[in-house]
Amino acid sequence: MPFLQRALLAGMLSGALGGLLGSFAVLRQLSFFSDALGHSALLGIALGVSLGLDPTLVLIPFAVLFALGVNQLARRSRLPGDALLNIIYSSSLALAVVVLSRLPGWKGGLQQLLFGDILGVTGRDLLLLSALLVVTVVILLLTGRRQVLLTIDESLALSRGVASEAQRLLFVILLAVVVALSIKAVGVLLISAFVVIPACASRLISGNFRLYLLLSALCGAGCAVIGLLVSAAADLPSGPSVVIVQLGVFLLALLLAPRTGRVVS
Amino acid sequence: MVETILEVSHLTVRREGRAVVDDVSFQLRCESDTALVGPNGAGKSTLVQALLGILPHHGGSVHLLGHRLGPRGQLGAAVRSQVAYLPQTLSLRGRLPLTVAEFVGLGWDPPGPALPWHGAGARSQAVRTALTKTDCHDLAQRLFSDLSAGQQKRVLLAFCVVRPRRLLILDEAQAGLDPRASDRFHDLLYQLRRSEGWTILQVSHDLEMVRRTCDTVLCLNRSLRCSGSPDHALSPHQLEGLYGRGYVPYAHRHASGAAAPSP
Repeated sequence: MPFLQRALLAGMLSGALGGLLGSFAVLRQLSFFSDALGHSALLGIALGVSLGLDPTLVLIPFAVLFALGVNQLARRSRLPGDALLNIIYSSSLALAVVVLSRLPGWKGGLQQLLFGDILGVTGRDLLLLSALLVVTVVILLLTGRRQVLLTIDESLALSRGVASEAQRLLFVILLAVVVALSIKAVGVLLISAFVVIPACASRLISGNFRLYLLLSALCGAGCAVIGLLVSAAADLPSGPSVVIVQLGVFLLALLLAPRTGRVVS
Repeated sequence: MVETILEVSHLTVRREGRAVVDDVSFQLRCESDTALVGPNGAGKSTLVQALLGILPHHGGSVHLLGHRLGPRGQLGAAVRSQVAYLPQTLSLRGRLPLTVAEFVGLGWDPPGPALPWHGAGARSQAVRTALTKTDCHDLAQRLFSDLSAGQQKRVLLAFCVVRPRRLLILDEAQAGLDPRASDRFHDLLYQLRRSEGWTILQVSHDLEMVRRTCDTVLCLNRSLRCSGSPDHALSPHQLEGLYGRGYVPYAHRHASGAAAPSP
């Protein structure tokens, strides 16, 4: 497959995944959590490179373990969640840069890791992203209503028999895998935009939940395609181009949204 | 023989090592309306959350419809769907773009994985009926997070009544309701008991309402201090024991001069 088509497909899949999971993540106040996940991914990559292993394969288990660890820490800690996440993500970023700078044989550029390198997307990445989208859609179809109930109120969800801890962990694991697989195209610094911006734009104009999910996924995928085309045409870095398109869509939604906060129902 | 819906025996719930509900035992018989009263911090919300399995319990036992609740709140799906809970407040973060009809539909769903279109026709019919019953049909397409606290309470009641149930547990349900909505709310609870055989357990601070509508009162202050008919459990003597010396049960005098019934 030519590289541009591969890049567009990868962007579309990452965008749709970010939009779908982002719609729940934003409402559960996990925006900053996804940011920390993205930053820590660099540490996972550094770990993979220094051990001489394939970074993508190291990154998935690393991101999942990291996400579960941070999730437990945030629930038990008496510190405010955003402060705790700040400590975790800035220190993992610092550690990763130090480790990478000490690796003499490392040929990759830090710039590509931070801001995304769409040229680096392989056929295997596409396959993994496609499989992940299928898994995510099936999980959301089967458990979406319980995830919504959990987002509204944990006690109410528990009273209806929702296994809240299992559902919460399932969601955090999914989010971690999506972040780990999207890192290559989007970059460590901007991955959380894929989770947050499409969902917020969609929230501004959606009059019901089904539409909110759908628009969020479509907005994620659409912005990625437009952003990548712009990046290819104007020779701009891929991640930032997509995020600028997302910002444009968000501003448009802000303009369109009446005070009631919705235009489509 | 009168069927027992809920049987609580020597229930103890600890929080951070301290017993906040201590050795509580009582039973709810079918179609009864029982009030749980007590001062702030007496453990009322903790008790109802333990009965529902929202909080784990550390001693004693709870049987719902004859089935034992696990210590960590485990309960079979069939029993679970027979019990509804109306919480004091919702955490409802981030202004969900969720319509009232979508929210009430969540109350209809059986526990366990299910595809969104499973039972769609029956669900939307049940949602319409529940919204009509609770005077919320005009709110169906509004966003739940845009509603006032009182409207949200009515919608929560619709969430509870969207399926036939045996037991309804309410935590300060009437707080935030205007007098008309409050009356309508209690009419509906009465109707649910009389025509659909529901059993009701409600946490309340409104002792006048409790006297008027409930048939049994449980007085809780960590442990069960007394229980019985409203006349017995809400006598000045018992109330002083529950709320502390010097507590005078109020008689609310209206502009017309009609006084609320005194104990």
